[in-house]
Amino acid sequence: MSNVILAAPPQTAALDHGDLLAHDAVPASLISMRDIWKTYQMGAEEVHALRGVEFDVHKGEYLAIIGPSGSGKSTLMNLIGCLDTPTRGRYWINGKLVSEMNDDELARIRNQEVGFVFQTFNLLARASALHNVELPLIYAGVGSAERHEKARQSLTAVDLADRMMHRPNELSGGQRQRVAIARALVNHPSILLADEPTGALDSATSHEIMNLFERLHAEGNTIIVVTHEPDIAARAHRIISIRDGHIERDERTK
Amino acid sequence: MFFDDLKESAAMAVDTLRANKLRSSLTILGVAIGVITVTFMVSIIQGLNRAFAEQIEALGSNTVWASKFDPSFGRPPSSENLHRKDLTVADAEAIRRESQFALSVSPLYRQLAATLRYADKQTETPILFGVTPYYEMTHSSYVGRGRFISDADLANASNVCVLGVDAVRALFPFEEPLDKELKIDGKPFRVIGVMEPLGNFFGQSRDNSVFMPLTTFEKYHPDYTPPEIVFVIVLRPKTRADVAALVDEITDILRRRRRVPAGAPPNFGVSTQDSLLDFYNQLTGATALVLTAVSFVALMIGGIGVMNIMLVSVTERTREIGIRKAVGATRANILWQFLIEAVVLTAIGGAVGLAVGEAASLLMNRYSPLPAFVPLWAVVVGLGISAAVGIIFGLWPAWKAARLDPIEALRYE
Ligand SMILES: Nc1ncnc2c1ncn2[C@@H]1O[C@H](COP(=O)(O)OP(=O)(O)O)[C@@H](O)[C@H]1O
Ligand SMILES: [Mg+2]
Repeated sequence: MSNVILAAPPQTAALDHGDLLAHDAVPASLISMRDIWKTYQMGAEEVHALRGVEFDVHKGEYLAIIGPSGSGKSTLMNLIGCLDTPTRGRYWINGKLVSEMNDDELARIRNQEVGFVFQTFNLLARASALHNVELPLIYAGVGSAERHEKARQSLTAVDLADRMMHRPNELSGGQRQRVAIARALVNHPSILLADEPTGALDSATSHEIMNLFERLHAEGNTIIVVTHEPDIAARAHRIISIRDGHIERDERTK
Repeated sequence: MFFDDLKESAAMAVDTLRANKLRSSLTILGVAIGVITVTFMVSIIQGLNRAFAEQIEALGSNTVWASKFDPSFGRPPSSENLHRKDLTVADAEAIRRESQFALSVSPLYRQLAATLRYADKQTETPILFGVTPYYEMTHSSYVGRGRFISDADLANASNVCVLGVDAVRALFPFEEPLDKELKIDGKPFRVIGVMEPLGNFFGQSRDNSVFMPLTTFEKYHPDYTPPEIVFVIVLRPKTRADVAALVDEITDILRRRRRVPAGAPPNFGVSTQDSLLDFYNQLTGATALVLTAVSFVALMIGGIGVMNIMLVSVTERTREIGIRKAVGATRANILWQFLIEAVVLTAIGGAVGLAVGEAASLLMNRYSPLPAFVPLWAVVVGLGISAAVGIIFGLWPAWKAARLDPIEALRYE
């Protein structure tokens, strides 16, 4: 029922929306943030997790966000991934002004445009790897035969073809994270986001995962990785450093 | 797409069931008890209604009864009532002559029990009636084989009788009863007919009777005392619409014949099926009210159980809800999934409840005199009610789940 809403294309609506509200032209880049603030109300005190962040990401980029703990990396990632909304500022994905969208429109963006990989995997504990990967397709309204096929392809792409019917607790940490990556990619999103994807993994497994990211980038995916490990950041082609909620440095490394 | 929601939700529901077997069983039990209560109550009321409708139908739906006092349900008649002058066959004749609204008039004696004996067989339970040929038409109860009591039988006060099928069964299990000689309270009678069976009413057979000519009855009972023997004049109006007029008319005739002074209360009783209906409606009305209240409370308790388990389920699945929202589930998706989970729970409870309720009413029919009956619509209503309980009591927890903020849900430990 709700998927009917999902199936109706809100893109054009969102575009009109964007055109009307934008003072400047709709940006051509994949991601575009303008003067983004995120403020938390802690009792009487206001905590500014983000203070006027501005940047653009283009299709095919491999970007690392680094910064000390508490600097606002996760807050920023959650905004990029449309899991959260900014207190102030404008944000476009693919020309759609998502900072003005309502709950259901954001759900569709999360489903169609974004693949999110979490530090703690966030898999459904009681579901098989295959079912976990199918989940975004269910909410995209994809029929079950096509869904199975796509999920199988996605798991094969992360070398888990032989583990499809395993549950998360029957998989190693690295395997779980690869299931999560397969899930993030299954709907062919515009962008793959990963918030400290190796934070819960040992270093050998971390390298394995980072190799996978490199391969996915080579295959044409746009990737943003949050990390506080310099050697992981070093693999990216561009590094944004955050401190106290604003961008301190934004440099191209490759 | 909705079907996928449904499948996903059914899987979630089964998950919940498996993960919390005890709690789910208790919830299902709660709903089942609610539905059992409703089914059982409905079946009792339905059974009573049906039996009563049949009875009214069988009694000829609209007869009027005149006797020396009103029928009192359950209470014994007062001594003033007992000492009143009896109605007589002459009263019945007067009514037949004067009444415009009576189609037929059937004066009758009724004796609570008679002893019938044939060869080595005996039965003491049949009700003995002394009747006229008008009995059949007035009571819509007809002879099945042989013939009924005739005017000639009446004129001659002959020793002939017509048996109800129960008496036939008791005395002539393997023999043809017609033209046999038997003894009624020690006197010889010839069987001339067998009545058509009438069936049961409240577990009581209506075929346990024996009929003889009214005059023959008088011959053997020159004096009689209630309640062992009563004299009643039963009347059938020409149409249903004439019932009230007929009551007024015979009240007038009897007041005149019994010389009741104007303004004084009558020293006799005239009653209709309506008074029986009134009594019945009072009885079942009160019963239905109590039963409805009990059912409501039982369903509320079941529903609160559902709400409780759903709230727990939502809390326990907060992270799962976060994950689902993170990959694109809308509020509506989540709402439906939890609603369907609740409905699956209550539907299982409803099915269990219906099965038990149906079984109970079957047992009741079999082993108790109370009739019970679960109509098809009660099955539909029972399942509908349990689904409604799921929706009503699942709505708030499901809405809570749907409104969860994805980030906060993901952060939940
Ligand atoms: N839900 C919240 N409520 C209040 N403060 C928060 C919340 N989330 C984050 N913050 C604050 O915002 C700042 C940035 O947090 P976060 O983005 O998690 O940092 P990082 O991921 O870089 O470690 C921190 O000071 C943190 O305490
Ligand atoms: Mg963080």
